[in-house]
Amino acid sequence: MRKAKLCALCTTCLLAACAGDGRGLDENGRPLGESSGGALQPDFKSIQDNVFTPVCTACHAGAAAPLGLRLDEGASYALLVNAPSVEVPSMLRVQPGNPDASYLIQKLEGTAAVGGRMPLNLPPLPQETIAVIRQWITDGAANTMAAGGSANSRFELVQLTAISPARNETVSAPVRDVVITSNVELDTSLMQSNLIELRASGGDGSFDSGNEHDVPVDAVVRSDLPTVLAITPRVAPLAADSYELRIRGTDPVAMADLQARPIDGDGDGAPGGDFVLRFTVEMAQ
Amino acid sequence: MKSGTVLRKVCALVALVVASALHIAHAEPYLAVREGLKCASCHFNPTGGGMRNVFGNAYAQTALPARRIEGAGTEAWTGMLNSFVALGGNLRTNATYTDVPHNPSTNEFDIEEMRAYLAVIPIPDRLAVYVDQRLAPGGSTNLEAFARYTSKGQQWNFQAGQFFLPYGLRIQDDTAFIRQVTGINFTTPDRGVQVGYEATSWTAQLAVTNGAAGGDETDEGKQVSLRGEYVQNVWRFGAGFNHNHTDAGNRQMQGLFAGVRIGPVVWLGEADYIMDRTLGPTERKQWVGLLEANWLMVKGQNLKLTAEYFDPDTDVDEDEQNRFSLVWEHFPIQFLQLRVGARIYDGIPQNDQQNRRFYFAQVHGFF
Repeated sequence: MRKAKLCALCTTCLLAACAGDGRGLDENGRPLGESSGGALQPDFKSIQDNVFTPVCTACHAGAAAPLGLRLDEGASYALLVNAPSVEVPSMLRVQPGNPDASYLIQKLEGTAAVGGRMPLNLPPLPQETIAVIRQWITDGAANTMAAGGSANSRFELVQLTAISPARNETVSAPVRDVVITSNVELDTSLMQSNLIELRASGGDGSFDSGNEHDVPVDAVVRSDLPTVLAITPRVAPLAADSYELRIRGTDPVAMADLQARPIDGDGDGAPGGDFVLRFTVEMAQ
Repeated sequence: MKSGTVLRKVCALVALVVASALHIAHAEPYLAVREGLKCASCHFNPTGGGMRNVFGNAYAQTALPARRIEGAGTEAWTGMLNSFVALGGNLRTNATYTDVPHNPSTNEFDIEEMRAYLAVIPIPDRLAVYVDQRLAPGGSTNLEAFARYTSKGQQWNFQAGQFFLPYGLRIQDDTAFIRQVTGINFTTPDRGVQVGYEATSWTAQLAVTNGAAGGDETDEGKQVSLRGEYVQNVWRFGAGFNHNHTDAGNRQMQGLFAGVRIGPVVWLGEADYIMDRTLGPTERKQWVGLLEANWLMVKGQNLKLTAEYFDPDTDVDEDEQNRFSLVWEHFPIQFLQLRVGARIYDGIPQNDQQNRRFYFAQVHGFF
């Protein structure tokens, strides 16, 4: 028994001796030169380097990020700015120009209607830090990363992501717009070429039975870098039915980024293919 | 006279449950190891946490507290309102003091969580619907909501809905590296289906879920979680596997965990290896580990010493982090726990948060 206790104590001591001394690393524990943090400034890159990466990504990173909110570099902007909150879908996580109406601020200040203050189970961020994030939002919540994220971004293809509604989601609340984000800045002038179409199934949930009908929409660019598109039905909210949103990624005219790279709409890992989003609306009002 | 009657009822209840070898279990893994039981013995969830079952409530009134006090009535709380409906809850409220280098220290009172559990069991031992709702702080948030069917011999169970994923040791502290870094904790339930297997010495679960940690599914990829545990009277050994396939990249974890009771001390250990393609341009490989000693000082008092290890990137040197905790836990009376503790973080000197000190006192009421 004494031997077992000694063994366990030795293991504990070994664990205790393993903390890194930080040589050659920045404040985020990454090799120097990989990223540069610097003093916190009201710009996205600085906030990413000084707040999101060192503090928030302890939990909000990767595939296991709570509520799907990834705050790791390359994903955070698209999932924050003009993206609806999961906890309170009527609020945007970051509403450019309006920090008080931004759910991110409410979560950081502990005034959100749902859930605990962030960072969860950690001391609150200093007021000065929150003030800087507020200032960034007040200034328009621009993305100061390079297009397509940072130099570390894995995005090599032009990809679209359905933010609201999500793919194949059944929505029980009124749908007044469809929010799509891109991982890079899109050439939004192409939208004049009728690249986006929204169809209703006609009530049977099928899109090949011949009774579908087009729903006229307008597309609004909510932000660039990366592009966030809000596709709004001219008669809103949408009636209860199943819908298919299609953004063309193939010829004759395809949605593309500023380098004229067509979107990888079908997600096959190669440029081209239509982006198709299907969802169902259960409630119109 | 009256107190003696209640105590006899509680003891009879415990004896009945133990003797019939039905549901026996615990609240935290160290309690399970101390008693040589499986999580399903005390909890509605086969992997622990959440609502306690009849035995769990009886255990909390007899074996856990330093002493038992009597209320006005003659009935003992079992959680069962009748044969078909069970209730439970947890409230943790804290006084904390946090010291972050180069930052002003903070101290505050806060509610860590208030959770309420409801199980409706229309077919006893076979079919149940369960809800775990987080009521505070802030507004109400659903953590778990699932329906579970159990086979006639109680060996197999199938559940569908939203639930906590089976992986590793389900310790209470979500800020532990093995909970925070793995991303499988009490803040990240997921939606899907799970099949469980319960035998005399074995417990195993396989879950297929969205992999969105409670958020809306955004791709076609799914997450697979597998947990198996072999339980003996004084020791146990288990393994976990998790693979999450997403458009942003894949993430895979595998780990081993174990527990052993040596005299008055229960030892817990877990080590996990994580391969994550979602954190950067290349795959990032991480290690997390935990070693914990729980010393039963006297009945109702436990002293917990924990050492943790986290290597955020095995390809980067000198970025490792440690965390050490010393927590005294006291059950003065039934359904009440007082905790006082300190957590010392030890990381790279450039990062103040990785070197913070956290002290807390907690009142934990449960039923």
